[in-house]
Amino acid sequence: MNTSLNIREKRFIAVVAAIALVFGFTPVANAMHIMEGYLPVGFCIAWGVICIPFLIAGYMSMKKTLKENPKTITLLAMAGAYVFVLSSLKIPSVTGSCSHMTGTGLGAILFGPAPISILGLIVLVFQSTLLAHGGVTTLGANTFSMAVAGPFAAYGIYKLGLKLKINKHVVVFLAAALGDFFTYLITSFQLALAYPSEAGGVAASSIKFLAVFAPTQIPLAIIEGILTVVIIIGLETYAQPELNDLGYLTGGVR
Amino acid sequence: MENSLGKSINFIRTSEKAEHQVTHHHKIGHKHGEGSAIDFYAYASKLRCWNPTFKVVFSFLTLLLCIGLNNPFVSIAVIIGMAYLTVLKGGLSLAAYISVLMIPITFIIMGTIAIGVDFSSQPIGQFNLFLGFGYLFTSVDKLQEMAFLMLKVFGAISAMIMMTLSTPSSEIIGVLRKAHVPKLIIELMNLIYRYIFILMDVFNNMRNSADSRQGYCDFKTSCTTFGSVASNLLVVSLKKANAYYTAMEARGYEGDLIFLEDEKKMPMRHLVIGAAFIIFLIILGIMTH
Repeated sequence: MNTSLNIREKRFIAVVAAIALVFGFTPVANAMHIMEGYLPVGFCIAWGVICIPFLIAGYMSMKKTLKENPKTITLLAMAGAYVFVLSSLKIPSVTGSCSHMTGTGLGAILFGPAPISILGLIVLVFQSTLLAHGGVTTLGANTFSMAVAGPFAAYGIYKLGLKLKINKHVVVFLAAALGDFFTYLITSFQLALAYPSEAGGVAASSIKFLAVFAPTQIPLAIIEGILTVVIIIGLETYAQPELNDLGYLTGGVR
Repeated sequence: MENSLGKSINFIRTSEKAEHQVTHHHKIGHKHGEGSAIDFYAYASKLRCWNPTFKVVFSFLTLLLCIGLNNPFVSIAVIIGMAYLTVLKGGLSLAAYISVLMIPITFIIMGTIAIGVDFSSQPIGQFNLFLGFGYLFTSVDKLQEMAFLMLKVFGAISAMIMMTLSTPSSEIIGVLRKAHVPKLIIELMNLIYRYIFILMDVFNNMRNSADSRQGYCDFKTSCTTFGSVASNLLVVSLKKANAYYTAMEARGYEGDLIFLEDEKKMPMRHLVIGAAFIIFLIILGIMTH
């Protein structure tokens, strides 16, 4: 094959391959759930263990909130259901493709990172049982990337931005988009750790996974950022009292 | 006149679209909003009368063996066994089964390509392709690894969807409760499961009314509409949360949510056949190691 093609033909194949990669796979972008069976047993357990401290922290904070105000039980459940529904909605996209928000950035901004870890775990369980996205054995890895790392990054950026007195909507955009982006980085890294490249180890493998998922995940992160800003603007306009209610859960957007 | 004609054509088109969406259920391919579909299949399954604890434990053990043994023969046995259970025993149509199985196909294809194909600046490996900046290369071993990984993933997925396509979520939550998952989490799961369907319903109404007012005519409008619908959905859901708490209190809620669970018998036959299948998988895994 190598000898029979001249350079121009090879270039042509390369360009076609690149186009096929970019356009062939974009129609179905999704939040990056690692599928059932993708990780070896050791990694499934390890990622689960890493999540435990965050989950315990979330559980404790939730217990405390409920003790102070038992009414929050339905509020928390609604928050979880809302994140689930948001993550299962088709979002508008330029190519007519079908993609979804992760909803974790908005969730972290509204409800705070602590309850989101537990709610995120439950949402992931329902996503695997009701939507067949993700899985039971990869629950630990997915919880870490989507319910811990992403929301914490988003919340951190949000708080930092507010402290630096940047325009709030810019901050919300950055928090949601970078939170999504961070989830994508972590997932690629998780996959790379489980499947290191022969030639270059984990680092080269990470780059491969980042490259393969980039055409779907980067536009998705930007769209998620924009939509989150639109949602927050809508909430500020129509739902100030409800937003104050949410202060119970966290001290989110007050 | 022209305008009204255009509108009526548009109306016909949208109703065609709606029809298309209704018939869409049995097409193979990746699609979304599938949530209620899987739930619907679970309630309709003939395996629903089986003991949920048995189904959850059995599919989880199969899943673990499929991943732990990491053996293509075991994966094939699991794929066949689970398809038999779900389609022939459970009475789900083959097309519906395959369409559920294909939901994660994009992730699998992309992830597997990233594992099987490597790049380097030198033309190494059995097959390589020059891409301007370096070489993409792979080998027969790598391709075989890719194929085995795909088999393993499909085995694992079929083991899990055997459970989800035959056990409604409320019964799975009941099993988790028996496994001593903390009470708060079980209560939240029960509530979230119910609220998901309520919110989906509200969302569908909002989307339809926005759609009938040309709310999704182009990209920019769609974004605004999506944002407004989503923020409105949050407002509605928070209002509902308050109302539901009041309703719960009116029915004597004092901090414990108790849900009705019906006990399902556990016939000896299931236990024996299930254990035999698990042992068969282990022996197959060891024999073909």
